[in-house]
Amino acid sequence: MLGEFEYLLLTAARRLGEDAYGAAIRQEIEVVTGQRCSIGALYTTLDRLEVKGFIKTWMGDPTPQRGGRAKRMVRVTADGVHAAGDFYGAVTRVSQGVSWAPSRGKIR
Amino acid sequence: MMNRIFWGLVDISSRMLDPEEREVVRGDLAESGETGSHALSGVLGLVVRRQAALWTDWRPWLALVGLVVPLGMLLSIVSKSTADGSAVYIWMYANNWDWDFVRNAGFRYELAHCIPIVFMPYLMLVCWSWTCGFVLGSVLRRVIRLNSVLFCLMLLFGALLGAPRYFEYYWQYLHRAFSFPALPVQNDPVFALTFYRVMLPLIVQAFLVVIPSVSGMRQGIKAAWFRPLPRAVMWTMAIAAIATMVIQNRIWLFPGLHFHTPIQRASQIYLLEFVACWPAGYFVTSAFRRHWSRKIASV
Repeated sequence: MLGEFEYLLLTAARRLGEDAYGAAIRQEIEVVTGQRCSIGALYTTLDRLEVKGFIKTWMGDPTPQRGGRAKRMVRVTADGVHAAGDFYGAVTRVSQGVSWAPSRGKIR
Repeated sequence: MMNRIFWGLVDISSRMLDPEEREVVRGDLAESGETGSHALSGVLGLVVRRQAALWTDWRPWLALVGLVVPLGMLLSIVSKSTADGSAVYIWMYANNWDWDFVRNAGFRYELAHCIPIVFMPYLMLVCWSWTCGFVLGSVLRRVIRLNSVLFCLMLLFGALLGAPRYFEYYWQYLHRAFSFPALPVQNDPVFALTFYRVMLPLIVQAFLVVIPSVSGMRQGIKAAWFRPLPRAVMWTMAIAAIATMVIQNRIWLFPGLHFHTPIQRASQIYLLEFVACWPAGYFVTSAFRRHWSRKIASV
Protein backbone atom coordinates (compact mmCIF):
# COMPACT_ATOMS: atom_id res chain seq x y z
CA MET A 1 0.00 0.00 0.00
CA LEU A 2 1.13 3.54 -0.73
CA GLY A 3 2.15 6.03 1.90
CA GLU A 4 0.30 9.34 2.06
CA PHE A 5 3.15 11.37 0.55
CA GLU A 6 3.59 8.79 -2.17
CA TYR A 7 -0.10 9.17 -2.96
CA LEU A 8 0.19 12.98 -3.06
CA LEU A 9 3.12 12.69 -5.42
CA LEU A 10 1.44 10.21 -7.73
CA THR A 11 -1.71 12.35 -7.86
CA ALA A 12 0.24 15.54 -8.60
CA ALA A 13 2.26 13.79 -11.33
CA ARG A 14 -0.89 12.34 -12.89
CA ARG A 15 -2.65 15.72 -12.81
CA LEU A 16 0.33 17.42 -14.50
CA GLY A 17 0.45 14.74 -17.19
CA GLU A 18 3.10 15.46 -19.84
CA ASP A 19 4.42 18.41 -17.80
CA ALA A 20 5.20 16.38 -14.68
CA TYR A 21 8.75 16.93 -13.47
CA GLY A 22 10.43 17.60 -10.10
CA ALA A 23 9.85 21.34 -9.64
CA ALA A 24 6.30 21.27 -11.08
CA ILE A 25 5.24 18.36 -8.86
CA ARG A 26 6.71 20.11 -5.85
CA GLN A 27 4.82 23.30 -6.63
CA GLU A 28 1.58 21.39 -7.18
CA ILE A 29 1.90 19.64 -3.81
CA GLU A 30 2.69 22.94 -2.04
CA VAL A 31 -0.32 24.68 -3.61
CA VAL A 32 -2.72 21.83 -2.79
CA THR A 33 -1.55 21.10 0.75
CA GLY A 34 -0.42 24.62 1.70
CA GLN A 35 2.76 23.15 3.18
CA ARG A 36 6.37 23.17 2.08
CA CYS A 37 7.57 20.13 0.19
CA SER A 38 11.29 19.51 0.65
CA ILE A 39 13.49 18.55 -2.27
CA GLY A 40 14.90 15.70 -0.20
CA ALA A 41 11.46 14.18 0.43
CA LEU A 42 10.45 14.70 -3.21
CA TYR A 43 13.42 13.00 -4.87
CA THR A 44 13.80 10.14 -2.40
CA THR A 45 10.07 9.39 -2.75
CA LEU A 46 10.34 9.55 -6.55
CA ASP A 47 13.15 6.99 -6.36
CA ARG A 48 11.07 4.75 -4.11
CA LEU A 49 8.06 4.94 -6.43
CA GLU A 50 10.25 4.16 -9.42
CA VAL A 51 11.69 1.11 -7.68
CA LYS A 52 8.14 -0.06 -6.95
CA GLY A 53 7.33 0.41 -10.63
CA PHE A 54 4.63 3.06 -10.02
CA ILE A 55 6.35 5.78 -12.04
CA LYS A 56 8.91 6.04 -14.79
CA THR A 57 11.42 8.91 -14.86
CA TRP A 58 13.85 10.18 -17.49
CA MET A 59 16.00 13.21 -18.08
CA GLY A 60 14.21 15.94 -20.03
CA ASP A 61 15.56 18.81 -22.08
CA PRO A 62 17.31 21.76 -20.42
CA THR A 63 15.39 25.06 -20.38
CA PRO A 64 16.62 28.67 -20.05
CA GLN A 65 14.54 29.41 -16.91
CA ARG A 66 16.40 26.55 -15.20
CA GLY A 67 19.78 28.01 -16.08
CA GLY A 68 20.16 25.52 -18.94
CA ARG A 69 19.76 22.53 -16.63
CA ALA A 70 17.82 19.36 -17.39
CA LYS A 71 14.53 18.28 -15.76
CA ARG A 72 13.67 14.88 -14.32
CA MET A 73 10.44 14.07 -16.12
CA VAL A 74 7.90 11.76 -14.47
CA ARG A 75 5.15 9.54 -15.88
CA VAL A 76 2.76 7.47 -13.76
CA THR A 77 2.63 3.86 -14.92
CA ALA A 78 -0.45 1.60 -15.04
CA ASP A 79 0.67 -0.03 -11.78
CA GLY A 80 0.96 3.46 -10.26
CA VAL A 81 -2.59 4.34 -11.36
CA HIS A 82 -3.84 1.09 -9.86
CA ALA A 83 -2.00 1.63 -6.55
CA ALA A 84 -3.25 5.24 -6.28
CA GLY A 85 -6.83 4.05 -7.00
CA ASP A 86 -6.53 1.40 -4.27
CA PHE A 87 -5.23 3.97 -1.80
CA TYR A 88 -8.01 6.42 -2.62
CA GLY A 89 -10.64 3.67 -2.31
CA ALA A 90 -9.27 2.59 1.06
CA VAL A 91 -9.22 6.17 2.38
CA THR A 92 -12.75 6.80 1.12
CA ARG A 93 -14.09 3.57 2.65
CA VAL A 94 -12.37 4.04 5.99
CA SER A 95 -13.60 7.65 6.19
CA GLN A 96 -17.30 6.88 5.72
CA GLY A 97 -19.39 7.94 8.68
CA VAL A 98 -16.70 9.89 10.51
CA SER A 99 -17.39 13.50 11.44
CA TRP A 100 -14.86 15.12 9.07
CA ALA A 101 -15.90 13.19 5.98
CA PRO A 102 -18.49 14.89 3.68
CA SER A 103 -21.94 13.22 3.80
CA ARG A 104 -23.14 11.50 0.65
CA GLY A 105 -24.31 14.09 -1.87
CA LYS A 106 -23.21 17.23 -0.02
CA ILE A 107 -19.86 18.71 0.85
CA ARG A 108 -19.48 20.70 4.04
CA MET B 1 25.72 39.06 0.78
CA MET B 2 24.30 36.28 3.00
CA ASN B 3 22.30 35.00 0.05
CA ARG B 4 25.50 34.67 -2.00
CA ILE B 5 27.20 32.80 0.83
CA PHE B 6 24.22 30.42 1.07
CA TRP B 7 24.29 29.82 -2.69
CA GLY B 8 28.01 29.15 -2.47
CA LEU B 9 27.28 26.56 0.22
CA VAL B 10 24.50 25.10 -1.97
CA ASP B 11 27.06 24.72 -4.74
CA ILE B 12 29.52 22.96 -2.43
CA SER B 13 26.98 20.68 -0.74
CA SER B 14 25.31 19.71 -4.03
CA ARG B 15 28.65 18.21 -5.14
CA MET B 16 27.86 15.36 -2.77
CA LEU B 17 24.99 14.35 -5.08
CA ASP B 18 25.33 12.29 -8.25
CA PRO B 19 26.08 14.54 -11.25
CA GLU B 20 22.68 13.89 -12.87
CA GLU B 21 20.75 14.56 -9.69
CA ARG B 22 22.84 17.66 -8.98
CA GLU B 23 21.88 19.02 -12.39
CA VAL B 24 18.18 18.38 -11.78
CA VAL B 25 18.16 19.81 -8.25
CA ARG B 26 20.08 22.95 -9.21
CA GLY B 27 17.67 23.44 -12.10
CA ASP B 28 14.63 23.03 -9.80
CA LEU B 29 16.07 25.55 -7.35
CA ALA B 30 16.77 28.05 -10.14
CA GLU B 31 13.29 27.62 -11.59
CA SER B 32 11.41 27.95 -8.30
CA GLY B 33 13.37 31.07 -7.31
CA GLU B 34 14.26 29.79 -3.83
CA THR B 35 16.14 31.95 -1.35
CA GLY B 36 19.67 30.82 -0.54
CA SER B 37 18.81 29.56 2.94
CA HIS B 38 15.84 27.48 1.73
CA ALA B 39 17.88 26.11 -1.15
CA LEU B 40 20.66 25.14 1.25
CA SER B 41 18.33 23.38 3.69
CA GLY B 42 16.69 21.55 0.75
CA VAL B 43 19.98 20.36 -0.71
CA LEU B 44 21.39 19.40 2.69
CA GLY B 45 18.20 17.46 3.43
CA LEU B 46 18.56 15.54 0.19
CA VAL B 47 22.26 14.87 0.78
CA VAL B 48 21.55 13.55 4.30
CA ARG B 49 18.75 11.32 2.99
CA ARG B 50 20.97 9.98 0.20
CA GLN B 51 23.85 9.25 2.57
CA ALA B 52 21.52 7.68 5.14
CA ALA B 53 19.97 5.47 2.45
CA LEU B 54 23.41 4.03 1.64
CA TRP B 55 23.78 2.98 5.27
CA THR B 56 20.62 0.88 5.26
CA ASP B 57 22.72 -1.85 3.64
CA TRP B 58 24.94 -4.09 5.81
CA ARG B 59 28.07 -3.64 3.67
CA PRO B 60 29.00 -0.08 4.73
CA TRP B 61 28.68 -1.16 8.37
CA LEU B 62 30.95 -4.13 7.77
CA ALA B 63 33.45 -1.85 6.04
CA LEU B 64 33.25 0.61 8.92
CA VAL B 65 33.94 -2.05 11.53
CA GLY B 66 36.37 -4.06 9.41
CA LEU B 67 38.37 -1.28 7.73
CA VAL B 68 37.73 2.28 8.88
CA VAL B 69 38.02 1.68 12.62
CA PRO B 70 41.05 -0.68 12.59
CA LEU B 71 42.97 1.29 9.95
CA GLY B 72 42.18 4.61 11.65
CA MET B 73 43.26 3.28 15.04
CA LEU B 74 46.37 1.63 13.65
CA LEU B 75 47.45 4.76 11.79
CA SER B 76 46.83 6.91 14.81
CA ILE B 77 48.99 4.61 16.95
CA VAL B 78 51.75 4.51 14.34
CA SER B 79 51.57 8.27 13.86
CA LYS B 80 51.86 8.88 17.60
CA SER B 81 54.81 6.51 17.99
CA THR B 82 56.52 8.07 14.94
CA ALA B 83 56.00 11.57 16.33
CA ASP B 84 57.32 10.52 19.75
CA GLY B 85 60.31 8.78 18.20
CA SER B 86 61.28 11.84 16.18
CA ALA B 87 60.52 14.20 19.09
CA VAL B 88 63.51 12.89 21.02
CA TYR B 89 65.91 13.60 18.16
CA ILE B 90 64.34 16.94 17.31
CA TRP B 91 64.52 18.00 20.96
CA MET B 92 68.10 16.80 21.22
CA TYR B 93 69.22 19.03 18.36
CA ALA B 94 66.69 21.90 18.23
CA ASN B 95 66.41 22.57 21.98
CA ASN B 96 70.09 22.14 22.73
CA TRP B 97 71.54 23.74 19.65
CA ASP B 98 74.83 25.54 19.84
CA TRP B 99 76.63 26.77 16.72
CA ASP B 100 79.93 25.78 18.28
CA PHE B 101 78.90 22.12 17.95
CA VAL B 102 78.94 22.47 14.16
CA ARG B 103 82.70 22.81 14.19
CA ASN B 104 82.95 19.34 15.70
CA ALA B 105 83.28 16.61 13.03
CA GLY B 106 81.75 13.98 15.35
CA PHE B 107 78.67 16.17 15.84
CA ARG B 108 78.28 16.67 12.11
CA TYR B 109 78.57 12.92 11.54
CA GLU B 110 75.93 12.20 14.19
CA LEU B 111 73.63 14.88 12.78
CA ALA B 112 73.88 13.43 9.27
CA HIS B 113 73.18 10.00 10.76
CA CYS B 114 70.08 11.31 12.61
CA ILE B 115 68.39 13.01 9.67
CA PRO B 116 67.33 9.74 7.98
CA ILE B 117 66.37 8.31 11.37
CA VAL B 118 63.87 11.16 11.74
CA PHE B 119 62.70 11.47 8.15
CA MET B 120 62.51 7.85 6.98
CA PRO B 121 59.71 7.02 9.47
CA TYR B 122 57.94 10.20 8.30
CA LEU B 123 58.19 9.00 4.70
CA MET B 124 56.92 5.56 5.67
CA LEU B 125 54.05 7.16 7.58
CA VAL B 126 53.05 9.20 4.52
CA CYS B 127 53.12 6.06 2.35
CA TRP B 128 51.12 3.99 4.84
CA SER B 129 48.55 6.77 5.27
CA TRP B 130 48.17 7.17 1.50
CA THR B 131 47.81 3.39 1.15
CA CYS B 132 45.13 3.21 3.85
CA GLY B 133 43.25 6.04 2.14
CA PHE B 134 43.62 4.28 -1.21
CA VAL B 135 42.17 1.04 0.19
CA LEU B 136 39.25 2.90 1.79
CA GLY B 137 38.59 4.87 -1.40
CA SER B 138 38.62 1.71 -3.53
CA VAL B 139 36.36 -0.32 -1.25
CA LEU B 140 33.95 2.36 -0.03
CA ARG B 141 33.47 4.44 -3.16
CA ARG B 142 29.78 5.17 -2.61
CA VAL B 143 30.01 5.77 1.12
CA ILE B 144 33.46 7.29 1.20
CA ARG B 145 32.32 10.78 2.21
CA LEU B 146 30.87 9.87 5.57
CA ASN B 147 33.52 7.20 6.09
CA SER B 148 36.32 9.69 5.46
CA VAL B 149 34.87 11.90 8.20
CA LEU B 150 34.63 8.88 10.53
CA PHE B 151 38.19 7.91 9.61
CA CYS B 152 39.45 11.40 10.53
CA LEU B 153 37.48 11.22 13.78
CA MET B 154 39.15 7.88 14.54
CA LEU B 155 42.53 9.50 13.96
CA LEU B 156 41.63 12.42 16.19
CA PHE B 157 40.30 10.08 18.86
CA GLY B 158 43.51 8.10 18.74
CA ALA B 159 45.67 11.21 18.88
CA LEU B 160 43.83 12.97 21.67
CA LEU B 161 42.59 10.15 23.84
CA GLY B 162 43.59 6.67 23.02
CA ALA B 163 46.63 5.64 21.10
CA PRO B 164 49.48 6.80 23.28
CA ARG B 165 47.87 5.66 26.48
CA TYR B 166 46.32 2.26 25.82
CA PHE B 167 49.65 0.52 26.05
CA GLU B 168 50.68 2.41 29.17
CA TYR B 169 47.39 1.72 30.92
CA TYR B 170 47.60 -1.93 29.98
CA TRP B 171 51.14 -2.21 31.22
CA GLN B 172 50.37 -0.34 34.45
CA TYR B 173 47.51 -2.77 35.05
CA LEU B 174 49.88 -5.71 34.53
CA HIS B 175 52.40 -4.03 36.83
CA ARG B 176 49.85 -3.56 39.62
CA ALA B 177 47.99 -6.84 39.22
CA PHE B 178 50.74 -9.27 38.30
CA SER B 179 53.91 -7.53 39.46
CA PHE B 180 55.21 -7.03 35.95
CA PRO B 181 58.24 -4.71 35.87
CA ALA B 182 57.29 -1.04 35.89
CA LEU B 183 57.61 0.95 32.68
CA PRO B 184 60.89 2.80 32.55
CA VAL B 185 60.58 6.56 32.76
CA GLN B 186 62.23 7.80 29.59
CA ASN B 187 62.70 11.11 27.85
CA ASP B 188 60.88 13.10 30.51
CA PRO B 189 62.60 16.40 29.62
CA VAL B 190 61.31 16.02 26.05
CA PHE B 191 57.69 15.20 26.85
CA ALA B 192 57.50 17.71 29.67
CA LEU B 193 57.28 20.27 26.86
CA THR B 194 53.75 20.74 25.52
CA PHE B 195 55.04 21.08 21.98
CA TYR B 196 56.53 17.57 21.89
CA ARG B 197 53.81 15.97 24.00
CA VAL B 198 50.74 17.46 22.26
CA MET B 199 51.54 19.69 19.30
CA LEU B 200 54.04 17.57 17.37
CA PRO B 201 51.80 14.45 17.31
CA LEU B 202 48.92 16.61 16.05
CA ILE B 203 51.10 18.28 13.40
CA VAL B 204 52.41 14.89 12.26
CA GLN B 205 48.90 13.51 12.12
CA ALA B 206 47.50 16.48 10.19
CA PHE B 207 50.27 16.72 7.58
CA LEU B 208 51.60 13.18 7.33
CA VAL B 209 48.42 11.19 7.94
CA VAL B 210 45.23 13.14 7.16
CA ILE B 211 46.40 14.88 3.96
CA PRO B 212 47.99 11.75 2.41
CA SER B 213 44.97 9.64 3.45
CA VAL B 214 42.53 12.01 1.75
CA SER B 215 44.74 12.06 -1.36
CA GLY B 216 44.82 8.24 -1.29
CA MET B 217 41.02 8.10 -1.01
CA ARG B 218 40.64 10.29 -4.11
CA GLN B 219 43.00 8.06 -6.07
CA GLY B 220 41.32 4.93 -4.70
CA ILE B 221 37.95 6.06 -6.05
CA LYS B 222 39.49 6.52 -9.50
CA ALA B 223 41.17 3.11 -9.33
CA ALA B 224 37.81 1.39 -9.71
CA TRP B 225 37.93 2.21 -13.43
CA PHE B 226 41.39 0.72 -13.96
CA ARG B 227 41.88 -2.51 -15.88
CA PRO B 228 42.00 -5.74 -13.83
CA LEU B 229 45.78 -6.24 -14.09
CA PRO B 230 46.91 -2.81 -12.84
CA ARG B 231 44.20 -3.02 -10.20
CA ALA B 232 45.49 -6.39 -9.02
CA VAL B 233 49.07 -5.02 -8.87
CA MET B 234 47.92 -2.01 -6.87
CA TRP B 235 45.96 -4.16 -4.46
CA THR B 236 48.97 -6.45 -3.93
CA MET B 237 51.15 -3.43 -3.21
CA ALA B 238 48.57 -1.96 -0.85
CA ILE B 239 48.19 -5.21 1.10
CA ALA B 240 51.97 -5.56 1.33
CA ALA B 241 52.28 -1.96 2.56
CA ILE B 242 49.64 -2.45 5.25
CA ALA B 243 51.32 -5.73 6.25
CA THR B 244 54.59 -3.80 6.63
CA MET B 245 52.85 -1.27 8.85
CA VAL B 246 51.46 -4.01 11.07
CA ILE B 247 54.77 -5.90 11.24
CA GLN B 248 56.89 -2.80 11.82
CA ASN B 249 54.68 -1.59 14.63
CA ARG B 250 53.93 -4.89 16.28
CA ILE B 251 55.24 -3.72 19.63
CA TRP B 252 52.06 -1.70 19.94
CA LEU B 253 49.82 -4.56 18.97
CA PHE B 254 51.37 -7.23 21.18
CA PRO B 255 52.91 -5.25 24.02
CA GLY B 256 53.70 -8.20 26.24
CA LEU B 257 55.65 -10.02 23.56
CA HIS B 258 57.85 -7.47 21.97
CA PHE B 259 58.40 -4.61 24.35
CA HIS B 260 62.08 -3.64 24.51
CA THR B 261 62.82 -6.01 21.65
CA PRO B 262 64.36 -4.13 18.73
CA ILE B 263 62.62 -4.74 15.43
CA GLN B 264 64.55 -7.35 13.51
CA ARG B 265 65.84 -5.81 10.31
CA ALA B 266 65.65 -8.92 8.18
CA SER B 267 66.07 -8.49 4.44
CA GLN B 268 62.36 -9.26 3.94
CA ILE B 269 61.54 -6.22 6.08
CA TYR B 270 63.67 -4.00 3.85
CA LEU B 271 61.90 -5.42 0.81
CA LEU B 272 58.50 -4.80 2.38
CA GLU B 273 59.55 -1.26 3.29
CA PHE B 274 60.51 -0.72 -0.33
CA VAL B 275 57.14 -2.06 -1.48
CA ALA B 276 55.40 0.19 1.05
CA CYS B 277 56.74 3.19 -0.89
CA TRP B 278 54.58 2.15 -3.86
CA PRO B 279 52.56 5.43 -3.82
CA ALA B 280 55.66 7.11 -5.28
CA GLY B 281 55.64 4.57 -8.13
CA TYR B 282 51.91 5.12 -8.58
CA PHE B 283 52.35 8.88 -9.00
CA VAL B 284 55.29 8.50 -11.39
CA THR B 285 53.32 6.01 -13.52
CA SER B 286 50.23 8.26 -13.50
CA ALA B 287 52.33 11.26 -14.58
CA PHE B 288 53.81 9.22 -17.46
CA ARG B 289 50.36 8.03 -18.53
CA ARG B 290 49.01 11.59 -18.50
CA HIS B 291 52.04 12.81 -20.46
CA TRP B 292 51.69 10.11 -23.11
CA SER B 293 47.92 10.45 -23.48
CA ARG B 294 48.37 14.22 -23.98
CA LYS B 295 51.06 13.55 -26.54
CA ILE B 296 48.89 11.04 -28.39
CA ALA B 297 45.93 13.43 -28.32
CA SER B 298 48.01 16.24 -29.81
CA VAL B 299 49.19 14.09 -32.73
